[in-house]
Amino acid sequence: MNRNKLLIVDDEEGILKVLSMSLRHEGYEVHTALNGKEALAVFEKEHPPVVLTDLKMPGMDGFQVLRRVKEIDPDAEVIVITGHGDMDSAIEALRFGASDFINKPVRDEALRIALDRAAEKLEMRGQLKAYTTDLEQMCQIATEEVRRKSEFQDKLITSSNDGIVATDEKGLIILFNPGAENIFGYSRREVVEQRSFSELYPEEVAEEFRSGFRRKRDKRGWGWKEVTILGKGGEPVPVRFSGALLYEGEQVIGSVGFFQDLREIRRLQRELVQSERLAAIGQTVARLAHYIKNILTGLQGGMYVVNIGLDKDDKDKLKAGWTMVQRNIGRVSDLVMDLLTYSKEREPEYRDCFPNDIVEDVCELMEVKAAQNKIALVRDLDPSISQVTMDPSAVHRCLLNLVSNAIDACLFDLSENKEWRVSVKTEREGDSMIRFEVTDNGAGMTSDVKKKLFSAFFSTKGGKGTGLGLLVTHKLVQENGGRIEVESEPGSGSTFTICLPYRRDAGDGIRRRARAEKTH
Amino acid sequence: MSKKILSVDDDPDIIVFVKTVLEENGYTPLIAKNGEAGLAMAKAEKPSLVILDVLMPKQSGIRMYRELKSDPELKHIPVIMLSGIAKRTFLRSQEALTEFGDEPVPEPSAYIEKPVDPRELAETIARFVK
Repeated sequence: MNRNKLLIVDDEEGILKVLSMSLRHEGYEVHTALNGKEALAVFEKEHPPVVLTDLKMPGMDGFQVLRRVKEIDPDAEVIVITGHGDMDSAIEALRFGASDFINKPVRDEALRIALDRAAEKLEMRGQLKAYTTDLEQMCQIATEEVRRKSEFQDKLITSSNDGIVATDEKGLIILFNPGAENIFGYSRREVVEQRSFSELYPEEVAEEFRSGFRRKRDKRGWGWKEVTILGKGGEPVPVRFSGALLYEGEQVIGSVGFFQDLREIRRLQRELVQSERLAAIGQTVARLAHYIKNILTGLQGGMYVVNIGLDKDDKDKLKAGWTMVQRNIGRVSDLVMDLLTYSKEREPEYRDCFPNDIVEDVCELMEVKAAQNKIALVRDLDPSISQVTMDPSAVHRCLLNLVSNAIDACLFDLSENKEWRVSVKTEREGDSMIRFEVTDNGAGMTSDVKKKLFSAFFSTKGGKGTGLGLLVTHKLVQENGGRIEVESEPGSGSTFTICLPYRRDAGDGIRRRARAEKTH
Repeated sequence: MSKKILSVDDDPDIIVFVKTVLEENGYTPLIAKNGEAGLAMAKAEKPSLVILDVLMPKQSGIRMYRELKSDPELKHIPVIMLSGIAKRTFLRSQEALTEFGDEPVPEPSAYIEKPVDPRELAETIARFVK
């Protein structure tokens, strides 16, 4: 825009001529008009930044020109020319938006000052406009940046698999992402600015937030923990939760909660347990079948030998064959008993008994097998243990299992020229427990074997073990309210310790105690 | 004089059973209850055939077999493996031992899985002891 463009409006042609000549001489591009109507036409065509107009004109007067010009371009500088001493008109014109006035007759000096001032104003306005435009542009860039960032964050929140729920400082939910919709079952609409977190969060979590809001302490958040929330339909949904209070300075302005859906993980875990259980059942069946096949072999062998004895009328053969049959029937019955003990709840049967006698009994039973394999069977019995009330058949069964295992541990020991021994020790522990220790110096166990000791159907004895012995022992000890411990070192042997409670009088106390421990 | 056959087994049932089968078929049974005793008896008695249980405590049947087959005086004695484990499993264990650096040994002459049929056992023995 040419700042030096001028429009002069006056009904006196002489004045127009003089002024325009003088101003052109000063370098202005001067347009002229003889009346208001013409002036507006020129103004619309040329858009001069400065208009110089006489106020008193026939037809459309200077005031009207001023008003119309200002309507068309509020930035236009309009200088009015007033009659000498007509201050009222000048003030009136200023009120209508004229930027200056000069008196008639127009003096060069006054005109130049007015034009200079107008130019200055125009200049300033131009600069201001430039600043404003710059500011606007910068503001727009910043806004755009903010919008992009917020959109990015929005997308982050929206596309997060985790449920994100934010509230204001009163707990009203103001953000509820699709992840949260998926977990809680509510839609964003149903929740945002409709519900408080108290309605969605489990009580323990809600309470933490509430106390966070109340206290204004510097508690900022909570680490991950597993909680169960209730979905819209009341169904429990397992989630991992963490949360934080949002601060502006010291002031709590809201909260945010993060929820990870654990349903899928839980389902997979259940499936894993299920498939492990199936695998365990498969293994169990295979192992049992194997063991039973061994017994069957013994029975068939026995039948064969008995038949030969019958054919030949050979009493020795008959005896040998019959022993085989008996032994294998014994194995079947042991297996069935073990399986029954393992598979059903059994109430301990408390009776008066002498624990040391039970140990003697067991040792006597195992003596032959030990002696045959050159294993010393040693008893170390606490003579102060007298008659007590315990479950003698459980004690007997446990010790028989442990001693038999101890002998096997010696048999399976590959060391050369070792003097194998198995010792059974009894001892009081406090005034309510008896400790039975079975120690061998046989093969010992690796930590790997030790870990699997009490798992079902685990055996290191190949086809010769059912993998039930220790399991049954463990179960009996637990049912009796006792405990079992194992120490073992590969190559140097093992010690199995069982501690069982006893009563000197009636067995009620023990029974109660055993029950109590079972329920824990 | 009837041929001597050595049975090495730790299971009393198998001992009585195999002993009876051997006697019924006209052989002289020799009995050892573990690999160590078995190897000693094989050296002393030079039996015509060895019936060996794969799984035994102390010196296992597998180890006794390898020692038998690497002893120049004993390696020609035919061996029948008797076992509760499948033949395939046994052979794989042998491959594994060989891979771990043991000298490779020939497969046993025969392999009988438990339960053992007395007629099958007798016929198998007859194939190697003429």
